[in-house]
Amino acid sequence: MKMVVLAYGFIWLAVFTYVFIVGRKLGRLGGELSELRRRIDKIRPS
Amino acid sequence: MPTQPPSSRSLRFSILSAITFLLFVIACNAIADAPREITMGLVQKIFYFHVPCAWLLMLSTLVCAGGSIAYLFGGSERGDRIALSSAELGVLFGLCVLVSGPLWARAAWGVYWQWEARLTSSLLLWLMMVAYVLARRYGGPSARRLAAALALFAAIDIPLVYFSVRYFRSIHPQTTVVSTLVPGMRGAFWLSLLAFTVLWWLLISVRVAVEDRAAEIIDLEVLLDQAEEKKA
Repeated sequence: MKMVVLAYGFIWLAVFTYVFIVGRKLGRLGGELSELRRRIDKIRPS
Repeated sequence: MPTQPPSSRSLRFSILSAITFLLFVIACNAIADAPREITMGLVQKIFYFHVPCAWLLMLSTLVCAGGSIAYLFGGSERGDRIALSSAELGVLFGLCVLVSGPLWARAAWGVYWQWEARLTSSLLLWLMMVAYVLARRYGGPSARRLAAALALFAAIDIPLVYFSVRYFRSIHPQTTVVSTLVPGMRGAFWLSLLAFTVLWWLLISVRVAVEDRAAEIIDLEVLLDQAEEKKA
């Protein structure tokens, strides 16, 4: 039982940690993109 | 740069997340309900997560190699971004294989590790994916071609991993083990494999979106510099 819990627990932990890291990075880059677009629009109003 | 509009991408991520969650709920129920194997008992259930992770390690390596070919021979930047994203997933799922496998082996064989063909070739494949990611992270722009060549080399290891149990003396279960499962176990296994594959699809989509955004930021920074120079 201990081995099953360890194996399943590790896999879930690894996947959720990766999702958290990638999700946070996606959000941060989204913020940077919006900021850059805003600055470009300010300089070159279309 | 042609990328998907954020709204359609968010919708796709949401749909894929919902499907992945639903599939895992169904698969976990099927695993819980699957009959216990007579000789190994409960520890055999590691198999339902271990094998899909091994499949995803191989799939990630193949996709990484495909993207690398597109980059090396066609100059495809998108191919390169897919290759990097896929290599990261190879590292993730390879780690899951290399942790869950020894936990099963401890109960089944009495030892965590044996230097036999399947285990050694799988470790080698994972190390090559780790080397790819490290080269991309710390090697700078010049390491992109080197990493792409490494991905092709890693892809050659896939048949070795898969057929190692057939052609070498190995204590690892054979590739034909799935066909010997009783129906309750077989259904749970295929459901788990499907759930993990959809999860992989979701993760690669999100990871490629990260790379797309990073590339778009570089383009916009150049554009901003040019606009500021013109204004000055």
